[in-house]
Amino acid sequence: MRRAALLILAMLPGLAACGRALELDAEIDISHVVGSEPLRLDEGQYRNAAGEAFTVQRLRYYLSLPRLRRADGSWFEPQHPAESADAYHLVDEAKAESRRLRITGLPAGKYVGIEFLLGVDDARNHAGAQTGALDPARGMFWTWKSGYIFLVLEGTSPQSPASGGRYSYHVGGGEPSLARRIYLPFGERPIRVEERVKPTVHLAVDVGALLSAVNPVRIAQLPEAMDPVAARPLADNAAAMFRVDHLHHEPRRRGGG
Amino acid sequence: MRRRAVILLPLIVVVLLFAANGVLRQRLADAVESFPTPRPAVPPGWPAPRYDFSANPVTASGFELGRRLFHDPRLSRDGSISCASCHQQFAAFAHLDHRVSHGLNGANGTRNAPPLFNLAWQPELMWDGAIHNLELQPLAPLGNPVEMGETLEGVLPKLRADAGYRRRFEAAFGPGEIDSRRMLLALTQFVGTLHSADSRYDRDELSAQEREGLALFRQHCASCHREPLFTDYSYRGNGLDADSADLGRSVISGKAEDRGRFKVPSLRNVAVSAPYMHDGRFDTLAQVLRHYASGIQDSAALDPALRGGLSLNPEQQQALVAFLESLTDEAFLQDDRYAEPLP
Ligand code: HEC
Ligand code: HEC
Repeated sequence: MRRAALLILAMLPGLAACGRALELDAEIDISHVVGSEPLRLDEGQYRNAAGEAFTVQRLRYYLSLPRLRRADGSWFEPQHPAESADAYHLVDEAKAESRRLRITGLPAGKYVGIEFLLGVDDARNHAGAQTGALDPARGMFWTWKSGYIFLVLEGTSPQSPASGGRYSYHVGGGEPSLARRIYLPFGERPIRVEERVKPTVHLAVDVGALLSAVNPVRIAQLPEAMDPVAARPLADNAAAMFRVDHLHHEPRRRGGG
Repeated sequence: MRRRAVILLPLIVVVLLFAANGVLRQRLADAVESFPTPRPAVPPGWPAPRYDFSANPVTASGFELGRRLFHDPRLSRDGSISCASCHQQFAAFAHLDHRVSHGLNGANGTRNAPPLFNLAWQPELMWDGAIHNLELQPLAPLGNPVEMGETLEGVLPKLRADAGYRRRFEAAFGPGEIDSRRMLLALTQFVGTLHSADSRYDRDELSAQEREGLALFRQHCASCHREPLFTDYSYRGNGLDADSADLGRSVISGKAEDRGRFKVPSLRNVAVSAPYMHDGRFDTLAQVLRHYASGIQDSAALDPALRGGLSLNPEQQQALVAFLESLTDEAFLQDDRYAEPLP
């Protein structure tokens, strides 16, 4: 009896801390663009650096293991149950809600940048059956060679020699892995996470950069990249897709998230 | 304490039988049906398995559910092909008489369906090692257009719509939706406990000729077909072709020299799992032995141990075949717990 009471007493500060920490979060909002134009699936007509016209029918990718950097160089890394896939987020241009993610359990303070993995880390990429964003039913799992597809870009181009003028890029796997760590500093002003202030980080993600940043891709020559060897040039471009467009703080409603 | 258990136990059984809900009754039925439920076990002298069952503990209901899924043709798009169509128990879960797999609408694949047993020891699955976790293996045949031609989005609603499956999934994994993970874990409980370690070789009941074959085997074959699993799970060329039509391991490794290299297969139950090799080109063990003695083709993929062929005269080849036949585990082939379940 006494021991149980002591146990509860000992846990109280922890519980209180959890309770408070859980209220604080930051939001990441993603908009997809091609160069300076907004991305419109199927309808938008764009040109890559090589001057080839193209449309986009499908854009999906994993943003994993986000963490926030403090001014002193230390990191806040959200903690999740070992089995859960909560640290993995599947962004799908066709699903508006997937373009918004929340980082929860944040301690109050100032943060100067965000880092995440574009793709899935080796440990999870080689693990067994998983759930949530990593459920193979999400259609981002290769079955001819087990592992996740980190990024899918598909569409059409009159320059593509493939049937229907289609082009298909599936980036994933690889030794070393084609997953890419991406760090985005917030710039002059850090974001503020406070009991009364909720920050939102707006990211602009440029499909144009995926096709041209480091290794210019010509759809006429590369209508398909479906294995790690063919997709490596795209993976090396991918880091340049991401930039912080703007930051935004708004009052946090008390008691709410 | 003991006395209380003696009184309580029959009481619990009676309660389960009469008052219990469908799920508890299902668990009881599963325990009886699979009795004694095959559990992951490591025979003395065997290495540690590679698949970790501690994250997917085998239960009677999980095993029974896996057995049902394995034998259910509804896992294919048109309801015609089950896992067991290509993996037959009497052939040690290989596909007898079929050189390469034969799936939906009679379409042919490109590879021979391997026998299934002792899978928990395999570091990677498939002839080329394409799959590195047993749990994920079923996704390959399920999604292959010439095998089962289904998708997870297609198969899960069929399972969810079936009251029997809903009860069985709950009995195996507790309340919650039928999802891909639960389906894969159940299949793994079944295929992962297909356990074969009871041949005459294991019981040390070999005849004089078989013993001679064993000695020859240790001299010529065991460097690749390593005891006790009869494979070292490496990828090698055993001289089938000068220019292999199947790219083999190189598809996965990306290395040119791996073209035409394949996973060294286990030889347990090999006498019942004909035809042989990744493309099923040999029908008999005698043909296989003739290949090693006089049919080896040179190529970049060829293993140095086999360059120029093995010097084995006809009697020695016969002794080797006799030894390979002693690796058949009759109890495994007859084990009712692995057979097609009653509807
Ligand atoms: C149409 C025939 C066919 C069907 C149906 C089929 N398989 Fe197979 N299975 C094969 C072939 C062929 C291979 C070898 C493939 C390769 O190496 O590329 C294989 C390989 C395997 C392996 C790997 C064995 C090893 O030693 O590497 C396992 C495990 C397996 N199958 C289980 C299953 C399960 C479970 C199902 C049902 C979900 C299933 N199979 C359905 C033909 C089939
Ligand atoms: C250098 C390694 C190596 C040696 C030595 C070797 N094998 Fe093999 N064996 C293999 C490989 C690799 C395969 C699969 C090849 C394929 O399918 O492309 C194989 C396949 C087989 C098969 C077909 C099994 C099946 O399920 O399809 C039999 C039987 C066999 N070996 C028996 C033997 C015997 C008997 C010896 C000794 C006389 C021997 N092997 C020596 C590597 C070896």
